[in-house]
Amino acid sequence: MLEARLDQAQILKKIVDAIKDLVQDCNFDCNDSGIALQAMDNSHVALVSMMLKSESFSPYRCDRNIALGVNLTSLTKVLRAAQNDDILTLKAEDAPDVLNLMFENSGNDRVSEYDLKLMDIDQEHLGIPETEYAATINMPAAEFKRITTDLMAMSESVTIDASKDGVKFSAMGDIGNGSVTLRQHVDVEKENENVTIELSEPVSLTFSLKYLVNFCKASALSSSVKICLSNEVPLLVEYNVGNSSFLRFYLAPKIGDEE
Amino acid sequence: MARTRSTKGAGAGAKATSSPKTATTTTNNSSTVYTLPAESENPPRVFVLPKQTSPEARIVTLQNPRYSKPTRYLACASTGFYEFTKISASKTAPRSWLLHGSQGDDCDNKFDTHTTRGADLYVSSAIDPVFLVLPALVKSGSDKKRRFLSSDDHFDALSESSSTTDETTSHLSELLKWPEIRRILEKRMETVCDTVEAGGEQMFRLNQDKLLDEILLKAKRMAKHGLPKSMVEKFVTKALEAPILGIRSAQAASKPSNAATSQQESSHDNSGANTPSLESADSQSTMSSVETTYTSVSDASTAATSVSSLSSAAAEEPNNEVVNAMSASQEVIDLQTLRVAFDFICSTYLPPALSKALKENLLATNDSRKGTDFKPLDDYLVQLAKLRQLAVAARSTDYSRKRTMDEEADERAEKKRKKEEEDKIKNANMSRGVKQLKKVNTSGMKKLSEFFKKK
Repeated sequence: MLEARLDQAQILKKIVDAIKDLVQDCNFDCNDSGIALQAMDNSHVALVSMMLKSESFSPYRCDRNIALGVNLTSLTKVLRAAQNDDILTLKAEDAPDVLNLMFENSGNDRVSEYDLKLMDIDQEHLGIPETEYAATINMPAAEFKRITTDLMAMSESVTIDASKDGVKFSAMGDIGNGSVTLRQHVDVEKENENVTIELSEPVSLTFSLKYLVNFCKASALSSSVKICLSNEVPLLVEYNVGNSSFLRFYLAPKIGDEE
Repeated sequence: MARTRSTKGAGAGAKATSSPKTATTTTNNSSTVYTLPAESENPPRVFVLPKQTSPEARIVTLQNPRYSKPTRYLACASTGFYEFTKISASKTAPRSWLLHGSQGDDCDNKFDTHTTRGADLYVSSAIDPVFLVLPALVKSGSDKKRRFLSSDDHFDALSESSSTTDETTSHLSELLKWPEIRRILEKRMETVCDTVEAGGEQMFRLNQDKLLDEILLKAKRMAKHGLPKSMVEKFVTKALEAPILGIRSAQAASKPSNAATSQQESSHDNSGANTPSLESADSQSTMSSVETTYTSVSDASTAATSVSSLSSAAAEEPNNEVVNAMSASQEVIDLQTLRVAFDFICSTYLPPALSKALKENLLATNDSRKGTDFKPLDDYLVQLAKLRQLAVAARSTDYSRKRTMDEEADERAEKKRKKEEEDKIKNANMSRGVKQLKKVNTSGMKKLSEFFKKK
C-alpha cells in the first residue's frame, strides 16, 4: 500500500513534464525511502534518474516495494487536471492495477480524483557509481537553458570546454559558429545568478544539443543546475528539488567525430 | 445480429438448467421470483449399451492399454468387454438431454426427470479383450528370458503395472473371479501367444508375429468395411492426391472422383498425413480420464459434412475439369486404407512401445503373401512427394489462381495491418519530444549501458 501526499502538485507536474519528452513509459519504484525512477530514452544514450525522498512528502507511507508502470503521456494528461498549488495524494495497492491520484484545493474544498491504469514494464536498471567529476559547474538553470537553445540554432551538437579560464560552450554549424563563455561569478546579493566552477583537470566533450535542450525542460523545477563532466564518461545534469530529492539526467558524449 | 445470438444462447443455457420446472411456473409466473434448483453433483449420463449383455454386466475401471490410465469399460461375462465412446454435442450448437423420470413405485428405480447440461452420449462398442491384457504380455515378453507364464502371472503383472489406483486393481481381480471372463481372456490370449502345457496349466508367451497377423487381420476387416468418411478424406484422399496441373475447361461433366480430388487446399501439405497418429489429429481424438474414455466423433462428423458440401459444390461446376499430375490406382488406395486402419488400431489400443515395434515389424516383413506388400504404395508416395515439391516451387511464383497463396498474402496483410494499428496506439501515447528525439543523430554516442553496469 502506497500513500504519498505532496503539498504542491507542481513538483510532480514539472518532473513528469521534464521526463515525458525523453521516455515514453517507465516504472515509478516506490519503497519506504521514497519514490525513485530510472529510465533511458529509446536510443539508450540518455538516462533520467529521479528520486523523491520520503521527506518530500507529508505523510509518506509505503509498506512494500511497489513498481508503478506508467505511460508518461497519460500521466501528463491526468496531471493537467491538477493546479500548481493543489495538494496531491498518490495512492496504490500492493499489487496495483491503477494509480489513484487525488487533487485537493485547500482554498475552495474542491477534490478531484483520478485512477490511472498501470502497465507492466520490463526495464533494466543500471547501477550508477558515485563519480568524482573533473569539472562541476553550478549555474542558473535559466542560463543553461538559454545557452542550449541559442546554440541549437547553429548546430546539432555542442562542445563544452571547462578550463581554468571558465567554461565555454561552442557550436559549429553550416551557417557559421558561435560560443558562450561563462566565468566564475559570485554575487552575494543575487545568489540565484551565481556561477561556480570546480575543476580538477581541464575537460572537453561534445554532446547532442537536442538532448540537452530536452533536459532543460526541468528548469522550472529549480533555479540552479549542476553540470558535471569528466572525460570519457557521461555528462550529468542535476536539478535539485529540495529535501535532497533530485532529478538527474545523464548523456553519453559524442566521441571520435567532428559532426 | 449479435444480440439475437446472445439471447438465443442464454435461452438455451436457461433451458439446460431450469426446464424441469418451467412448466409448472407458467401458471403463476407473474408473481413468483423463480430460483433454479442446485445443479446435481452427480448428473445422469446417457449410455447406449449392448442388448445381449447378461444382467451381471458391470461398468468397471481397467487400465487403458494405450495410455496406461484407468478407464471405464463395460465387462460382461457372456459377451466380453465393451469400450465407451463419447459423442459430444458441438459447442457451437448447445443441446441437452431431457430425461423423463420413471414413475415406478419401486423406490430403487425411482428416477427424477432431469435435464443435462450437455448432450453427451456414451456409446459402448465391443473391444477385443486381448488389448486389455497386452500391456502385461508386453511386459513379461520384454524380459530377456522370455519365459512362458501362466495366465495368473500375466494378470498379476497387469494389476501391478496399472497406474496405482486401487480401484483398477480391485476391479480387475474381482472380474477374474468370474470363470467366464477368465476363459474369454485366455482364449483371446491364445491367438497372440505361443502356448505350452505345463502341469495341467496353460502357459503363455507373447508372439509378436502372431500379434501382427492378428492386428493386420483386424485392419483388413476395418479397411474392407470402409473407413469413416472423414478418415478417408483426411488420411487417404488427401495423402494420396497429387497437385493440380491445371484446370481444363471441358464440356462433359466432371466425374465425381475428380470432384473429390479437387480439394486442393492441402496439396502442399505433405507433412506425412499418411500416419494418422490420433494424438495429433484433431478430427478424432481419443481422450482418457479417470471417469471415461471417449472418442470425440462430433468434430469428425462436422468435418465430414463440410467436406461433402464442398465436394458437391465442386461437382456443380462441370465445366472445369481438374487435371491432376497423377492419380492413385485402386491398389495404392487400398494399401493406403489398410495402412491407415492398421495405424489407427496401433495408435488407439496398443502401448506406444509395442505399436512402434509392430510398425517396424510390418515394414520388415513386406511380403505379398499376406497382402501386405506396401511397395506400390511407397513408390507412389515417393513420386508424389517429388511432384508436390515441384508444385510448391512452381506455385511460389504464380499468384494467379492459387488459393493458398492468397491466404498467405491475406495473412501477411492482416499482420501488417495489426502492426500498423499497434504502432498507431503506441504513437498516440508518445510525446512530441520522444518522437523528435528519435530523429536525433546519435552516431558516435555510446549506449549508457557501456558506462553503467546493469544491476
